[in-house]
Amino acid sequence: MAHKWGMVVDLDRCTGCEACVVACHAENNIPTAGEDQAARGRAKHWIRVERYWEGDFPNPRVRFQPVLCQQCDEAPCEPVCPTYASYHTPEGLNSQVYNRCIGTRFCANACPYNVRFFNFYNPEWDKPLQLQLNPDVSVRSVGVMEKCTFCVQRIKAAEIQAEAEKRELKDGEFTTACAQSCASKALIFGDLNDSTSEVARLASSNRGTKLLGELGTKPNVTYLERGTWEDANHG
Amino acid sequence: MERRDFIKISALSGVMATLEGCRSAEKQLIRFVPEEELIPGIATIKPSVCTVCSAGCGLLVRVMQGEAEVVRHGQQGLIKMGLAKKLEGNPQHPVNQGKLCARGQASLQLLYHPDRITHPIKRIGPRGSGEFQAISWDDALKEVSAHLGTLQASGSANSLAFLSRPLSGQRGELITKFLKTYGAPPPGWYQPFDEAVLRQANLLSFGHAALPTFDLASADYVICFGADFLGTWNSPVAQSIGYGEMRQGRPGRRAKLVQIEARMSQTGANADEWIACRPGMEGVLALGIAHIILAEKLAPQGAGSRPGPLIAGWQEGLPGYAPEAVEKQTGVSAVVIKRLAHELTQSGSAVAMIGGPPLAHTNGLFNALAVNALESLVDKQSVLSFTPQVGDAAPVQASLAALHGLSAQPPQMLLLYEANPVFSAPPSARVREALAKIPYIVSFGSFIDETSAQADLILPDHAALESWVDNVAESGSSRAVASLAPPAVLPLHDTRPMADVLLGLGRQLGGEVAKALPWATYDAMLRAAFVPLRTRPGSIDVKTDDDFWDAAQTQGGWWSSTSTTPPGAAVKRAPLSAASPEFAGAAADFPFYFLPYVSQSFGDGSLAHLPWLQELPDVLTSAMWSSWVEINPKTGDRLGIKQGDLVEIASQQGTVRAAAVLSPGIAPDMVAMPVGQGHENFTRFASGRGANPLSILAPLTEQETGSLAWAATRVKIARAGGPEQARLVLFAGGMSGFPHEEQPR
Amino acid sequence: MQTTAEQIEQDLLRPLFHSSGKYWIAVAIATSLLLAGVAAFGYQLYAGIGVWGLNSPVFWAFDITNFVFWIGISHAGTLISAILRLTNATWRRPVTRCAEAITVFSVLIGAIIPLCHIGRPWLAYWMIPYPSERHIWPNFRSPLAWDFFAISTYLTGSTTFLYLPTIPDFAAVRDVSTGLRKKIYRVLALGWQGTPRQWQRLEVAMHIMAVVIVPVAVSVHTIVSWDFAMTLVPMWHSSIFGPYFVAGAIFSGIAALILAMALLRKFLHLEQYLRPIHFENLGKLLLTMSLLWFYFTFAERLTAWYGNSPPEMAVFWESIRKNFAPLFWTMVVCNFIIPVPILAIKRLRTITGTAIASATVVVGMWLERFLIVVPALEHKFLPYSWGTYRPTWVEDTLMASSFGMMALLYLLFSKFVPMISIWEMKVGLQSHAGVPMVAPAEGQVALEGPQ
Repeated sequence: MAHKWGMVVDLDRCTGCEACVVACHAENNIPTAGEDQAARGRAKHWIRVERYWEGDFPNPRVRFQPVLCQQCDEAPCEPVCPTYASYHTPEGLNSQVYNRCIGTRFCANACPYNVRFFNFYNPEWDKPLQLQLNPDVSVRSVGVMEKCTFCVQRIKAAEIQAEAEKRELKDGEFTTACAQSCASKALIFGDLNDSTSEVARLASSNRGTKLLGELGTKPNVTYLERGTWEDANHG
Repeated sequence: MERRDFIKISALSGVMATLEGCRSAEKQLIRFVPEEELIPGIATIKPSVCTVCSAGCGLLVRVMQGEAEVVRHGQQGLIKMGLAKKLEGNPQHPVNQGKLCARGQASLQLLYHPDRITHPIKRIGPRGSGEFQAISWDDALKEVSAHLGTLQASGSANSLAFLSRPLSGQRGELITKFLKTYGAPPPGWYQPFDEAVLRQANLLSFGHAALPTFDLASADYVICFGADFLGTWNSPVAQSIGYGEMRQGRPGRRAKLVQIEARMSQTGANADEWIACRPGMEGVLALGIAHIILAEKLAPQGAGSRPGPLIAGWQEGLPGYAPEAVEKQTGVSAVVIKRLAHELTQSGSAVAMIGGPPLAHTNGLFNALAVNALESLVDKQSVLSFTPQVGDAAPVQASLAALHGLSAQPPQMLLLYEANPVFSAPPSARVREALAKIPYIVSFGSFIDETSAQADLILPDHAALESWVDNVAESGSSRAVASLAPPAVLPLHDTRPMADVLLGLGRQLGGEVAKALPWATYDAMLRAAFVPLRTRPGSIDVKTDDDFWDAAQTQGGWWSSTSTTPPGAAVKRAPLSAASPEFAGAAADFPFYFLPYVSQSFGDGSLAHLPWLQELPDVLTSAMWSSWVEINPKTGDRLGIKQGDLVEIASQQGTVRAAAVLSPGIAPDMVAMPVGQGHENFTRFASGRGANPLSILAPLTEQETGSLAWAATRVKIARAGGPEQARLVLFAGGMSGFPHEEQPR
Repeated sequence: MQTTAEQIEQDLLRPLFHSSGKYWIAVAIATSLLLAGVAAFGYQLYAGIGVWGLNSPVFWAFDITNFVFWIGISHAGTLISAILRLTNATWRRPVTRCAEAITVFSVLIGAIIPLCHIGRPWLAYWMIPYPSERHIWPNFRSPLAWDFFAISTYLTGSTTFLYLPTIPDFAAVRDVSTGLRKKIYRVLALGWQGTPRQWQRLEVAMHIMAVVIVPVAVSVHTIVSWDFAMTLVPMWHSSIFGPYFVAGAIFSGIAALILAMALLRKFLHLEQYLRPIHFENLGKLLLTMSLLWFYFTFAERLTAWYGNSPPEMAVFWESIRKNFAPLFWTMVVCNFIIPVPILAIKRLRTITGTAIASATVVVGMWLERFLIVVPALEHKFLPYSWGTYRPTWVEDTLMASSFGMMALLYLLFSKFVPMISIWEMKVGLQSHAGVPMVAPAEGQVALEGPQ
């Protein structure tokens, strides 16, 4: 069976440490916007940890919610791209084909999750920071949209390796940069079509919900609800 | 691993220079012969050790061939070399088990930072002017050698000082040995947020002067007094791993986290129950809980019998800590105190921990001893333990003492390493003045910062990824861990590792120093220290020393077979009575408690120069590239301060200004600022940005240890301008359910 | 007032041969605005589209607002001209060409804007469905691809619709010109001699165009509205958008037409031809459209408010009482509160009155486009990602230059083409004289004055 890449985000494990955010920048050659551009709303965090406050002192509550491209099965960003730059791969990824993108930015408006980011300028790195750039990931030029790819370069590398070795991919053999760094194992990545994989097991948890699921986007990221102490110890 | 002979290479490259055909004449650069064999496009994974905090996590470095512009023997050229592309946690390392925190991930930028000092420089203008001139290594080392020699010869060897952040492992050993055999006083270990109070408390309560280790994966109930253990405190990655397991790693069994602090930290945001306690009264609260447990006999017989009596009144059942009295002092209701006592003792496995702000009061030791007592009362399953050490743990001074030494008796010569007290020490330490009195200052820093800018000579160190690194884990593991790694990449610039330089200087000095440090290079010293571990049961099982040394380098170190060191016997001494925390500034004039806190992005401020971290949105405020002060919304309303306004914060020591962020997670009589911004001179990314809360701290110290009581300052605040002047940069837009949203950008 | 055919020709051809100093000043101003826009665009290409105020999450703002605005303006022309032709409203005669010209030029501007706003404008031609070397066609499911077809069809159609009735007038110019001018107009006149057969062909062609252009115009703006309605963005995803946009387009188009007519009347001295009755009738149409606009706006907002869906209400309140409230209520004043009394009360429905009402409507309709685009994008589903938008000088300049371009094209048009259709006015004369209104079957136009 073909792979279907998915992720589980366990909100009860997420601590808000944001290691995932920095790991993603390092892996995917995301340019740093700088203070002025960040002030104008152009910082690109392919994965971000949203934080919502509820209540007031002395009983404030915080909820952390890592949000990244949901790789929706019914992605609203795909039909609207006039050049097929946003397109669905046979393995369930919403792929952003940089070469096709002419920068209409329709996809970013259509995305309900605000996970698409636009290159308003040509990216620059103060030398020699560019030596750190990952050669397996394209650097995007001005006018091109970008977003989380589920580290497709790692997916491809693992698939090629497995094929060369004439074997199946094993669950846990590789993972995305964000999930790899996550100390509390809040991010789990893998093949949803592999019934033995951890992500498939967790995605069917009764704590599972989909972010903005009511919109019918059919995201491939499942969020496991944050627990409460009263619930958990009763099974 | 030996260095290649650069002279040979540059001669060859001079002959074999190739010019890029398509480049213009000005851009034609010489191609140097590569110094290593790498296959283009194929990554090599090399181990390393993260050095940005004291946890000492193990790293894997992804190295791939690339082309770098370098300067070799004064010639600029291109060289194909291994470049570090990505850091990951080392899955085999017992502390971080393959995981890595945000600061660890970002530390990669230390290697390729555009403002790294690329070769030795000598001061030519007045101190602090930033006017430096290039100097060759030979000349620089000659100069330092001469100074050292003169000092020793004139009988002023005890006038040499070495100030560094605390170093475990062989680097600390090297520096200590060097100074001792030279005849100088021991090194000053300086760190703005040292946990000297906690170590002292643990020594008294448990017999270990060390940071604690927690097996959170086996806990059912965690009560934490102020420690940001999921963020920046102690060994955050190890603790986060345990946290994940204690939440959802055991089907049907989920632990509860209760966090007690006056300002919601990143850790507190994850708590099931967050309890605001009056600053400095955490010890009293812990004893209030203990009182109930003792009174109602909720704990097994004999629990808490060792650390308990360190607290006055313990044997009598803590009569002064009845719930109603504790409620009055702490602001936590008696009902809650009773309930916590019951929950703690009813849960299968509980642990109480303390760290951070509660220890940074004048009564910090008392607070620590109190929580330690509560911990021993409730921890039935040894969630708390201490990491077995390799070799002797270095004695850790209180950092203020190290600085006072400099002021009180200015040395003739100061060597600086990875410490920035001009930035991070409180004004009362008068560091700038102390440095001004020191005739000769040499820094091994990689960057110009506020302190290294005062140096007369800078001998830039390699980046950690270019060096032999080693570390002994003080906490975060049930096994003894001695991390080790060879350089992951060859040096990019004309830098040299501090350890090799020191060894070289030692050889030059001859005598006792040379005898004590007979190695030509640091790796030889490391080998000598590591090889004896072969015979201890641990992660490497080989027959010869050579095999052991190779295996240790490949694995990223050596760690012992599993063994835990449970808390030991308490020290016998007179019981400590409760003391109220003192604060600087009368409440009438300075109505707010001031809390500078260790930042998720910048740690203690030493990482503010990394662009990934400047752009990382603070998880609670979403601020980037900014300084801010957290204020309770009701306080904001009362003082007419709106989200994003510029606020002036004044203590008795000085003032700072920062943008206001209204936060429900802070008490109405407290304001908090993250540490890390406010550098006046720290690379293009951090210079002139924001404000430094450490610069207004009062000189109050913890009564017994003399540690800086950095949570003991009081301030007053006032609106000083609008959002345009404050320039707060936020990543988030609105916040649901929170009325004080909608800020202009 | 006696008007002869000769008088008509003389009056309407005069602007082609004589220009006042004011004309050249107007041309100079329009040209400089246009050039400023070209310079700004050049800067944008050089520095990157980051010189605009767009950000995450507001990826469209002034660019799309202006695009929709200009396409909207274009509706007047063709619709007025087509519908009025089909319904045989005789008062339309002096109005049709002004209207059709507005259509063509505003569609042209509207078509240029998307080419300038994409991130890689040099690749805009990938929107054209041709067998490309990349082995890929445009994505026909995308509303932007629909835009491409709709707008190019509309541009072609409205240009044809403008050109056809101009042929006899080009012939008239040719007949009174000499030298180079004569040569040019001979080409433009396509050999028109005014034979009955040619007249018949012309009438048939125009009739076909009039019938065809109406659905094209309706579909164009419906498709433009689907750039928004086909997404899930709160307050965009509404089935009312199609009719709402078409109605709004006609509304703004009529207003633009009235303004253009008022200016032409004054500066080309066309008082005899563009008479109060025309402004009255167009004013009544404008009033109808204002009421219709109000109905649509009210219906859209009421249903959103009643449904009380949180994502929609976040956007709703932004406009009604939060950051966008000043702009929103200005829009209501401009589109409804000022125009309705002026246009409803006969005494106020003068040329000046309708011109004032039209000016406020143009402003109000621009605001309406802006208020559709920006508040919704600023406040999508996840509050953490909400943002704000401020335009930069580049966007301001580009917008101003679009008005400059419109003015310039219109000014140049008035120099080369009679702004009022000469032959239609002559036919009008005839009908006034009791002769049937269809073009003469045989022979010349009878040059008899009215009885």
